[in-house]
Amino acid sequence: MSPKHDVNKEIENEVYCGTLPVLPKERKYGFIDALLVLSGYCIATWSYTQGSYLATLVGFKQLLIGAFLAAIFMLMIYQLPVIMSVRYGIDIWIWLRSVFGTKGVKIVTVIIIIVNFPWYAVCCELFASSMENLLALFGVHLFNGAHLVLSLSCVVIGTIIALRGVGTITWTTRILVPLLLLVGVAVVVVGFTSVPMDVIWNYQPELAGDADKTVNYVLNIEANFAFVITLVGGMAEVPRLCKSEKSGYYAGVLGQGAAGSFFVVVGAVMAIAMQYVTGQMVEDPTLMLATLSTPILALASLLLVAFANIGTQAVGSYIYGVMLKSTFKKSSYKVLVLVLGLYVGILCVWGKIEEYFGSFLTISACVYAPLAALLFVDFFFVRKQKIDLKSAYEEEGHNAYVYSKGFNIVGAVCLALGFAFSLIIYDPIKSVVHNKILFMLTPTGASLLFTAILYYLLCKIPGIRRYVRRDTYASPDKKPFDRAKVPPRQNIIFLPLMWLLCKLALSPYKLKIDKKNMEGIKPPFLVYGSHNSFMDFYVTPLALKPYRANYISELEGFENFGEWIYRQAGCLGTRKFINDQSLIRNIARVTKRGDIMVIYPEARYANVGTNSHLTPSIAKLAKMLKVPVVTLNMQGNYLQQPIWNLKERKGARLHAELKCVVTQDEIGKLSVDEILSRISKELTYDEYTYQLENNIVIDDPWRAEGLHYPLYRCRKCGKDFAMTSSGSRITCKFCGDSYEMDELGQLHSSTGEIIHIPDWYEWQRGFVHEEIREGRYKLDIPVRVEALPNSVNFIDCGEGRLVQDNDGFALTFNNYRTEKYETLRFPAKSMVSLHTEYDYRGKFGPCVTLSTYDDTFFIYPTDESRDVFNPTKIQFATEFLGGLYS
Amino acid sequence: MEDYKELNSRIDEVLRAEKENQIPRMTKRDYIIAAVITGLSLIGIIWGFFL
Repeated sequence: MSPKHDVNKEIENEVYCGTLPVLPKERKYGFIDALLVLSGYCIATWSYTQGSYLATLVGFKQLLIGAFLAAIFMLMIYQLPVIMSVRYGIDIWIWLRSVFGTKGVKIVTVIIIIVNFPWYAVCCELFASSMENLLALFGVHLFNGAHLVLSLSCVVIGTIIALRGVGTITWTTRILVPLLLLVGVAVVVVGFTSVPMDVIWNYQPELAGDADKTVNYVLNIEANFAFVITLVGGMAEVPRLCKSEKSGYYAGVLGQGAAGSFFVVVGAVMAIAMQYVTGQMVEDPTLMLATLSTPILALASLLLVAFANIGTQAVGSYIYGVMLKSTFKKSSYKVLVLVLGLYVGILCVWGKIEEYFGSFLTISACVYAPLAALLFVDFFFVRKQKIDLKSAYEEEGHNAYVYSKGFNIVGAVCLALGFAFSLIIYDPIKSVVHNKILFMLTPTGASLLFTAILYYLLCKIPGIRRYVRRDTYASPDKKPFDRAKVPPRQNIIFLPLMWLLCKLALSPYKLKIDKKNMEGIKPPFLVYGSHNSFMDFYVTPLALKPYRANYISELEGFENFGEWIYRQAGCLGTRKFINDQSLIRNIARVTKRGDIMVIYPEARYANVGTNSHLTPSIAKLAKMLKVPVVTLNMQGNYLQQPIWNLKERKGARLHAELKCVVTQDEIGKLSVDEILSRISKELTYDEYTYQLENNIVIDDPWRAEGLHYPLYRCRKCGKDFAMTSSGSRITCKFCGDSYEMDELGQLHSSTGEIIHIPDWYEWQRGFVHEEIREGRYKLDIPVRVEALPNSVNFIDCGEGRLVQDNDGFALTFNNYRTEKYETLRFPAKSMVSLHTEYDYRGKFGPCVTLSTYDDTFFIYPTDESRDVFNPTKIQFATEFLGGLYS
Repeated sequence: MEDYKELNSRIDEVLRAEKENQIPRMTKRDYIIAAVITGLSLIGIIWGFFL
């Protein structure tokens, strides 16, 4: 092959350039240009097939409504996402990588081609019929099997043209579109002049006895929905070349909905005219022109239609060949075009594509409808009009759309279910309506609606949303959580389910609940609970049964489980260790409407199963609300799942005590100190003492793993961050001092010393206090920052720096709100404690959080600071500086 | 490598253009017009049942 005409190279260039984002300065098309190009694509001889098919179903007026209004209705909806193509200069196949995954989109491309390519078999069939009919008019009768030979010759010639590459195709297109327009004009003129106008206007099809007019009308609408929706694959390249979103959108709508539909109507007029004149309904424009006009015009039209069909076949092979090539980059373009030719050839040998035209249309639409729905919902509601282009182009280090080994399971499931849903409504092969009510929406419309709702709802489920939205950094939801929103009462229908769930979760741990001084205590009242682990949220509803309650929850839980479900569970969202006046107002609302308000006043899980100091504010709140105060001391919850290792210990046994500590009569009389003293007394706990006293055996071989997070300082050599843990041992990395954790939660040194874990923990605290008093304490480390503005998503803020000294915290980072690298300060006296995690969601290891009213910042160590970042030590310092232990 | 650079620079440029609204966006008015046309088409389709 000469270097001047290397088709493979040309195609590779076309594929490469054809998939790159088109820059604004490179845009070629205004509205008119795009309209002409898209109209040209929509006008093909299959429009006549569609028109004559519609004429077998409905009268001319209903046909007009279907061809124009149904087409425009569907186009107005499913063309809307093309504004994304215009905005980013990419075609929908690039974007679909976000919906189906980088590999999944390849499968979808193949499916689309399988369901789309029979259009080209229709062209070949039309070509063969035209030739046969015209030769018959001139008295030439062909041999048996000539039809197949003619249709295959159309495939062969079209394929050869496609194989010659871009230049030949460009010329083919330039000739093809005017030719088709000429044929169309001829058909219109002859059609409308051959029969009286009122014959066409008042046309009604002769329906079989059992035919239902309504079903036929719906099939007419369905055929038009399907006709326009299935053309989207071939048109995907055009909008990205448009200069404005509006021009791309309306060119798509009118190119198909006006120009394409006009030719469908022309096909119908032709079929009606032929039936009026000959008694036979045909879809072949050459036969019609020969019959209703002069043989010379027929001969001319023969040449036009012949070239048009071959040209359409060639352009189709080229478009889909390039599409396949961009998907399967290693395959040869020529091989791909030959495979496409073979596929059409097989359809021609089968020979029934025209007979099953309606079925084929509906099956195609069954695939396209869910696809269009996914695009629509994904663009407007899931990704909110933004995608991560670098991930879509699979740039190194950008893997947001790899999902599960390249496949987005959620997109694939929705596509499959949407397809199945339309088949449940209507069987396109046997033409049987299975569900008459849903059929009124048309199989395409119903499938579109079903898939859209399904995908939307699935993406509302937090786990699925996190799976689908791995690109949140590209378009994060920055709207702050509405802390002032009035909390709903716990859902009364939801409540029995919640109790059942709690019972199931607690069943292995033999929970025993004791109630003291609770006689006659009815809501509203205030519950202060101990806080050890997530188990607390299972124990509390059962302890308060049969009453419903509202709970205060950190926003992170809303993000993890979903805002809706948390609201139904009666949760009030807040951020930790901020002065949240909205929360106080909402707490007051809850008790005023007669409900129970549950608060875990420590606001953090116990690190080693012992209580934190409580502040007078909780007693002040009780006095302000003027309701009885009840304490809920839960034991065993920490032992079951300590914060430093969230694996469940099946040997744990749970106990809870619900006790009224301040009655309605007493609340007005007792002082704040007296109330605080009563609450503190009842919420004093030591889980390891409870374990020892009750002989609770926890024999999991990994029982000490993670214990080095709260016990970070070596008791022997005195080094900070020295400890490491494995199995049932905790060991110093430097001096080798080692302790075995027994099955009752005590530590044993090699010399036989027995250590009570909370003692070791508090021993460390003393050193931090000393460092601060002596002015030696300062933390200044690089950190990784994520912000949580709401219940929807985390926002990656990249690397920053965290400083903690006597003044409090200073966090320097890229603030996504101001888009500046700046420092936020958190004064020491504004925080009595700090939220800590030891391995938050398995993301980046240990973390601490700092909150403003609109953001919670999750702060993790970087590789550089991992060895010196210990949440426990930071918490000790915060509590001391905040005045909790002064 | 050249291909990668080309792609990268194009992506950056497209994102900048998007931020600066270089490609005119569909406005609220455009969306309203689209919704009205869609609604009218639907009414027309429903009317077709009675023909």
